[in-house]
Amino acid sequence: MTTIAETLALPSAALAASVPPESVPRRAPESSPAAVPSGQTAKSPLPASSRILRKLEPFVLWLILLALWFAVAHWLPLGENPLIPSPQATALALWQSLPELWKGTLASLGILVPGFALAVTLGVASGLVVGISPRLQRIFFPFARVAGPVPPTVYVPYAIAILPTFQLSAIFVVWIGAFWPIFQNTAAGAAALDARYRDNASILRMRGLEYAFRVVLPASLSHVFSGMGVGLAFAFILLTVAETFGASAGLGRFVQYYADFADYPRMVAGILYTGFVTWFAMTLLDKLKHRMLFWQR
Amino acid sequence: MTAHRPAPGLVLEGVEFAYERTPVLENISLSIPAGQFVTLLGSSGCGKSTLLRLIAGLQTPDRGRLLWNGAAITGTSLERGLVFQDYALFPWLSVVDNIAIAVGKAHPKTRKAERREAARHYLRQVGLESAIGKYPFELSGGMRQRGAIARALALESPLLLMDEPFGALDPVNRARLQDLLLELREAAPVRPTIVFVTHDIDEALYLSERCVILGAAPGRVLADLGVSFARHANRRADRQSLYNDAAFQSLRESVAETLAADTLKRLIAA
Repeated sequence: MTTIAETLALPSAALAASVPPESVPRRAPESSPAAVPSGQTAKSPLPASSRILRKLEPFVLWLILLALWFAVAHWLPLGENPLIPSPQATALALWQSLPELWKGTLASLGILVPGFALAVTLGVASGLVVGISPRLQRIFFPFARVAGPVPPTVYVPYAIAILPTFQLSAIFVVWIGAFWPIFQNTAAGAAALDARYRDNASILRMRGLEYAFRVVLPASLSHVFSGMGVGLAFAFILLTVAETFGASAGLGRFVQYYADFADYPRMVAGILYTGFVTWFAMTLLDKLKHRMLFWQR
Repeated sequence: MTAHRPAPGLVLEGVEFAYERTPVLENISLSIPAGQFVTLLGSSGCGKSTLLRLIAGLQTPDRGRLLWNGAAITGTSLERGLVFQDYALFPWLSVVDNIAIAVGKAHPKTRKAERREAARHYLRQVGLESAIGKYPFELSGGMRQRGAIARALALESPLLLMDEPFGALDPVNRARLQDLLLELREAAPVRPTIVFVTHDIDEALYLSERCVILGAAPGRVLADLGVSFARHANRRADRQSLYNDAAFQSLRESVAETLAADTLKRLIAA
């Protein structure tokens, strides 16, 4: 396949090779660094005030939203049990619910971790096997194209009906939601393996498991991680959906429970807390990705 | 099986290869005795890299036969190592682990520590001891190609195929690595057969004992020259005077003319 470039090469290439490359005139340094006004060039440090401003930029939107929240809760007549509880009431509810939220976190992780770990293990392993073999691709890809996009939430009632315990059915649903993106990304990454790595492995007679795990897996690792990112997001969605059906504890269960009692400060606290846990998990995954892909500049 | 043993070496008989009906190689026949250093010289698009891939067993010819020591070449083999222009090392493995893989292939029964020790030895041989614990992305192009040579040494292949291995290097590094290659070859207990692809006439004449000139579109043998300069034992001390040598210059000119005439013929035909 690499011969396309060779067969398309222009006949004049040999003649062009003898022409010396155009010499680029060297530019003299425009002025000494000391003479450059601060803040003008990329290399000179910004003045202290704008450096501080730049550090604050990520928080601007948060501060605006928080101010809006204060204003809405303070100025709008929302009644005795407002649907938008004040920030103070929410903070108090969050503080008071922390032990319960922590218990819910553990219950949720008891579903999320096994479901997601199973999805990663099976998704990566089967994705590698299918991605390496063109025949298996022809068998599996048409099926995956149909089965993959089915919204996994539709499996929730059926899984609860079929499997003996709620935890098992929730793990199953989390697994199936996270599995497809991981499988599909891994298989696509393995199938798109750079021909140079394949040739290299072939010259070294690397085959079987050694080929799969020392060549194909590292080469498709960035695909695997994007699959895991999508899979983790799906896992959280499915976890919280499944919990609203039949859990006795958990993050989704917490929000649903206090919504049923119209305890909006606690409900909003639960939403914020769940958002934090999701952000934390995503950040961990991102850190892991950067660590493992250190060789990709 | 026949009683007589075939002559050791590489034999190509009427090798043809086309890419999507565009002929790339046409009726290539060559016989390279074991231990010879041959360069395949040609302009871009003459199919010289394809020919090397066929010898390596990465691709199969449409017609003709390729034999190594009398046996037909089907697929890759540790007998035939290939050094690529770039990407020879896996970027996710440290330099020493890259070489250790090749050691493990040549000596499957060794333990990990032994493989690493052997890998360090090869890295010292190519002057890369400073890079032992590093990763390929931390190395310069010249250092990476030293690593590629170390890996080829570690494979201990009797036939070494090199696909423009110094093509992406600056002139100083290129000259250094050319000399390193010649030194390593002279130091080897059994001289490997080397098939070296290049489009650089000086490189071909400087390195090899024999220079096969390939024409382009489709690739075919234009000339097959014996080169005597490689036998000058002191040539490395005196690269510049070799370049100024009248015999070297006239050979270089005739090679350049052969290549230019082929290009001109194609331009007229087009």
